[in-house]
Amino acid sequence: MTNLLLAFDLLLSLTLVGLAAAALTSREPRRAVILFIAFGLLLALVWARLRAPDVALAEAAIGAGLAGALMLAAARRAARGARGPGGSESSAGQD
Amino acid sequence: MVALHWLAAALILAGLLFFVAGTVGLLRLPDALSRLHALTKADNLGLFLVALGLLVANPEPFFALKLLLIWLLVMAAAATGAHLIAKRAVRGDGEDAP
Amino acid sequence: MSELLAIPALILLLTLGAGLVRVVIGPTPTDRLMAAQLTGTTGIATLLVLAPVLRAPALVDVALVFALLAAVAAAAFTRQRRSAEEP
Repeated sequence: MTNLLLAFDLLLSLTLVGLAAAALTSREPRRAVILFIAFGLLLALVWARLRAPDVALAEAAIGAGLAGALMLAAARRAARGARGPGGSESSAGQD
Repeated sequence: MVALHWLAAALILAGLLFFVAGTVGLLRLPDALSRLHALTKADNLGLFLVALGLLVANPEPFFALKLLLIWLLVMAAAATGAHLIAKRAVRGDGEDAP
Repeated sequence: MSELLAIPALILLLTLGAGLVRVVIGPTPTDRLMAAQLTGTTGIATLLVLAPVLRAPALVDVALVFALLAAVAAAAFTRQRRSAEEP
C-alpha cells in the first residue's frame, strides 16, 4: 500500500517535471499551450494526491480549462500578428 | 458481500483493460483518424466500467448520481471533441512545424 | 478493498504517461489535442479510483469539474482553425 503510493508519487512527479520541460522548450506557441493544458491536468492530480481537493478543483477549472482556452486564443492572435498583412517574414506563424 | 467485491474488481479490471487498449492504439496506429477512432471509444467505455465497479463497491444513491453525471458529461465532451477534431483533420492543413 | 485500489490508480497513471508521449511527439496538432483529451479522461478515472484510497470523497467533485471542462479545450482549438481559415 505505502510502496504503491510511493511509486504513484514518483511517477507523477517525474511525469510532471518532464511535461514542464517539454512545454518550456517547445518553440511553437500552440504546442506549448497544449502541453500546458496537459500539465494543468497533471498538477490537479498532484493536488488531489496531496489531499487538497479544493486546490485541485481550482486548478482543474482555472489552470486546465479557462487558461488553456484563453492561451490558445492568444497563440492564435500572436501567430496571425506575426504572419500579418505585411507578408510571410516570420517563423512564428508556421504553427 | 465478498461476491460483490469480486464483481467490482472484475469491472475495474475490465475498465483498465480498455484504457490500456486505447493508449496502445494511440501510440501504435499509423494515422490520425485511426488514432481518433481507437481513442474516443475505448476510454469512454473504460471510464464507464471503472465507474460501475466503484459504484458496486460503494452503493450510495448520491455517489451514483455523481458518477452518472460525470459519465454523461464525458460522453458529451468526447463526442463533440471527436467530431470537431475529425472535421479539422479531414479538411487537412493539420501539419505543424517540428 | 479500498487500499487495493492503489493498483488501478498506478496503472491508470502509467497509461496517462504513455499517452503523454503522443502529446510530445505527435506529428500534427490534431494528435496532440486528441492525446490531451485522453489525458483528461484518464485523469478523471484516476481521480475516481484515488478517492477511496485517500479517503477523500471530495475528489469525485474534482473529477466532475474535469468532465465539465473537457470540451472547452477542443472547442477553443477548432475555433482557431476556422477563424484562421476565414480571415
